[in-house]
Amino acid sequence: MKRLFALLVVVWLGLSVADRAVADDSFAAIAEEVNQKLVKLFGSGGFKGLASYGTGVLISRDGYILTVNSHILDTRDLRVHLYDGTRYNAKVIAREPVLDVALLQIEGGMRGVDIEHYFDVFQAAKRPILEPGTHVLAFSNLFQIATRDEPMSVQRGVIAAYSKLAGRIGIFEASYRGNVYVLDAITNNPGAGGGVITTRKGELIAMIGKELRNELTNTWINYAIPFSARAETTDKDGKKTETSILDLVTKKEKYKPLPEAPKVANQVFHGIVLVPNVVERTPPYVEEVIPGSPADKAKLRPDDLIVYIDGLPVQDINTFNTILANYVPRNEIKLEIQRGDKLITVSLTLERPIDKKK
Amino acid sequence: MRSYLPLLALATAALGGLMLMPAPGRSDEVDELQEKAIKAAVNKIAPTVVKIETSGGTEVVKGGARGLIRRGQGPTTGLIVHPDGYVISSAYNFADKPSTIRVAVPGIKERRVARVVGTDQTRMLTLLKLVDLPPGTKLDVPVPAPKSEIQIGLTAIAVGRTLVPEVNGPPNVSVGIISAIDRIWGKAIQTDAKVSPTNYGGPLIDLQGRVQGVLVPASPQAEGETAGFEWYDSGIGFAIPLEDINAVLPRLMKGTEKEPVVLKRGFMGVLMKSQDMYEAVPTIESVLPNSAAERGGLKAGDILREVDGRKVSNYAQVMHQLGKKYEGDLISIKVERDNKEVVLDKIVLGSAEEAFPQAFLGILPIRDDPADGVEIRYVYPKSPAEAAKLQIGDRILKVSRPNAPSSAPLVELKGGREMLMQFLQVMRPGQEMKLEVKRKAGGKTETLTVKLAEAPDLVPEDLPENSSAKQALTPVGGKPPIKKPEKKDDQQPQKPPLKAETGFLKRTTPAADATYWLYVPDTYDPNIACSVVVWLHPVGKNKERDIEDFVDVWMTFCDDHHIILVCPQSDNMLGWTPGETDVVMEAVKSVQETYTVDRRRIVAHGMGVGGEMAFYLGFQYRAMFRAVATVGTALRGNPREKVPAQPLTFFLAAGDKDPVKPALEETRDKLRKLKYNVLERIIPNMGVEYLDGRAGIKTLEELIRWIDSLDRM
Repeated sequence: MKRLFALLVVVWLGLSVADRAVADDSFAAIAEEVNQKLVKLFGSGGFKGLASYGTGVLISRDGYILTVNSHILDTRDLRVHLYDGTRYNAKVIAREPVLDVALLQIEGGMRGVDIEHYFDVFQAAKRPILEPGTHVLAFSNLFQIATRDEPMSVQRGVIAAYSKLAGRIGIFEASYRGNVYVLDAITNNPGAGGGVITTRKGELIAMIGKELRNELTNTWINYAIPFSARAETTDKDGKKTETSILDLVTKKEKYKPLPEAPKVANQVFHGIVLVPNVVERTPPYVEEVIPGSPADKAKLRPDDLIVYIDGLPVQDINTFNTILANYVPRNEIKLEIQRGDKLITVSLTLERPIDKKK
Repeated sequence: MRSYLPLLALATAALGGLMLMPAPGRSDEVDELQEKAIKAAVNKIAPTVVKIETSGGTEVVKGGARGLIRRGQGPTTGLIVHPDGYVISSAYNFADKPSTIRVAVPGIKERRVARVVGTDQTRMLTLLKLVDLPPGTKLDVPVPAPKSEIQIGLTAIAVGRTLVPEVNGPPNVSVGIISAIDRIWGKAIQTDAKVSPTNYGGPLIDLQGRVQGVLVPASPQAEGETAGFEWYDSGIGFAIPLEDINAVLPRLMKGTEKEPVVLKRGFMGVLMKSQDMYEAVPTIESVLPNSAAERGGLKAGDILREVDGRKVSNYAQVMHQLGKKYEGDLISIKVERDNKEVVLDKIVLGSAEEAFPQAFLGILPIRDDPADGVEIRYVYPKSPAEAAKLQIGDRILKVSRPNAPSSAPLVELKGGREMLMQFLQVMRPGQEMKLEVKRKAGGKTETLTVKLAEAPDLVPEDLPENSSAKQALTPVGGKPPIKKPEKKDDQQPQKPPLKAETGFLKRTTPAADATYWLYVPDTYDPNIACSVVVWLHPVGKNKERDIEDFVDVWMTFCDDHHIILVCPQSDNMLGWTPGETDVVMEAVKSVQETYTVDRRRIVAHGMGVGGEMAFYLGFQYRAMFRAVATVGTALRGNPREKVPAQPLTFFLAAGDKDPVKPALEETRDKLRKLKYNVLERIIPNMGVEYLDGRAGIKTLEELIRWIDSLDRM
């Protein structure tokens, strides 16, 4: 390792002199290439601190664009500026809330448009997941710094993590709950949503998301949705359906209202009576176990502290209720409980609430 | 706050770009090498980086306090520092005193329960011991980067364990450089890697996977678990060198769950002549009784010349040596005394816990009085002042210097109220003080000796309305204003009475990112210094209407007693966050700039979670707040220690039906143990509400008199 470090220093020293002599800068070339495939979007907003501008990525010769599903699309007058400053109107083809992306198309009149530079989103979806520590570039029109034919602002950072946006990272307000890249760069700013993350060679990886707060740490989070993103939704009968960005691009389906997952608590019966939820962060201690209930069968006891449900940390009774609201009867859940100084794992199968059984 | 982050990021990106991407064609090789080195370093450290999860909080379990200053409740990071299951982490991660702590260790199948066994209050670190490890388990321990090798510009990688669920998966990383060393009075290194709750407690490592330090929020201006949080992800981050941590590890490891070790700052126990840290010659004004300085032989008037062999020419340089020391550490000092150098070797530093109750003379002074001496506004019953037969209207002209021999001459009170207060601050109850007093009746001058007492738990009911000499704009300590009518106008512009608006006013902070309201009494007179009450509303009471309701209750009191209300607004639905202190401080500062404010009577007043914010502000910003008044709030965690030069007093009120009551009593005892002056008022027949009903109003009136008498001495 020491040798490698020494080598690095030598390479730096060697190159910093050579640099200036060379005119053709490969980084500039990459930036130019990526910029040609990005667009500036202008739509609704401009009030309540909401930006009326955003970024999008061109994905086909006939002018399809992917961007984040945001308030700027809430208009009939959606405008697009290409990298060379050409202006078009665009229409919203489909908005996919569970992925938090939207598909747009440039309105090219009778003849349509013929876009020369665009990304192959299918190829992007196939790229292997990047490890934390990998250098990436972020392109977006953050803060609307670029106008008309000016190139996007480029930021450089590394992948900080690859993880689920909801629950784990603590974003509860996001509609997309699948895997995202967390970035070690302040990328998620007004107008940056719909911008892209590429490798340092300009290969398309992910789409910059919205401005969201991480509820678990009480901080802003910088993330991007990979083009391989998929989302699973459960309808009220517990049936699962899947959708992906590629599905959206292939099917060009209109807005797909999905049946809502059950959100009402106590749709399931577990037989755990927790201590009274008197304060904001009451820890979920078991007060009572109903005889014959799933909890009783799993040998839970009063004074057990529930600490995880299916690996999700349960800090307090409110979280316990929120998590359980996502389950339906017959689901099996894994509870980890703290009993004295020991952590014990038990499984229990949820049942229908008692009054509904009759 | 949010708005400047991206700019910083762009700037650092540009700088990083310059350094890291030099080569057309071959830049890729450099990048690839660096990327490989980063990943290898992270892989090397990963087995020692643990994930910490917590639930609840002790006070919460007892059904005590409502709400809190919000810290996120997600997982946090720790670093293994000893093979027997010891993990160090940032004290920030335990600021909410969780009831249970669980640690996931890479390579070990199940999570382990952990206990806090030690806290380093100087560096805001917490040591955990894993309970119930399989017998014979020896955990991997990281290699520290030698402090001598940590230099500005070196790559620094911040590693956390919070974003990826699997503890055996890759940790989250942020890459930057070392920005500075020897920060926060020599305690921390600074980095531009992004440091935030996602990696507090985790390591900052070099490209060889050696640990440079442990990431913590920190701020040179404030102390406490959460100080510096507002700088998260800004490119300003701090880490405590692992070498320093390892040096005190044996001491921390002696702690147990029942008796955790707490390492505290070492105090010398001197007050300096000047508050100016940079310009003034570091001269000792007084030596606190029973302090390390007294035991070590320091004397008032000594000029500090060397600390631990390093030359010092101002107090900031003294702090650079002293700031990193613990209680019980040794220090050697060279002073100049009577033009001779005196070396005082091996002084054992003491703790702030040698705090003592404020010495009390038993008077209230007339305020806004630029003339020499202190005129007596009120004499407390059964006080030393009453015993010495001091009367309203008498003027104290001279006093004995604190802790000076009895033969020493008395000094003139040219500095008025401030000077007398400063003298009393370094004295203890039981000590004697000589006073030269000019009697109002008869005009004779007498010399008296009083034996100082402890301040009573009493708010006088019969405060004389005459409280001010109404010359707040005339500089104190100078001569009494000379009556030259034609020149009077020339004197005014020294501090021009700004066109000060009065009434209920809506304001925004200079950055326009937050709203606050003011109530300035219509009776406002720039020549009468006002007290300032900062109202920190409870959860959900942040609308303009709610603020108006509060002001309605206070308005007549404000008019009668010259009180300015400052009502900031918390945006957070669940209560105040430490980040919002900026807004509060900006609001108070802007009031200080616009109106004449009595610095001795700035009060943080809050209810519920707002009360917790009041405690927080009181402890973190002692230079600003002199008093904390809460309704229905208990302090979460432990109070911070007393600082002699910055007194802080407390008024705790709650209804007797409020479930917070038992926790409130605990708060009172904790504060009194640290020798703070605490007034507790339990209001009969009141639940969770603001001072309401007949008994509530009575307490409110008492609170107003308490604020009026905050400059008692």
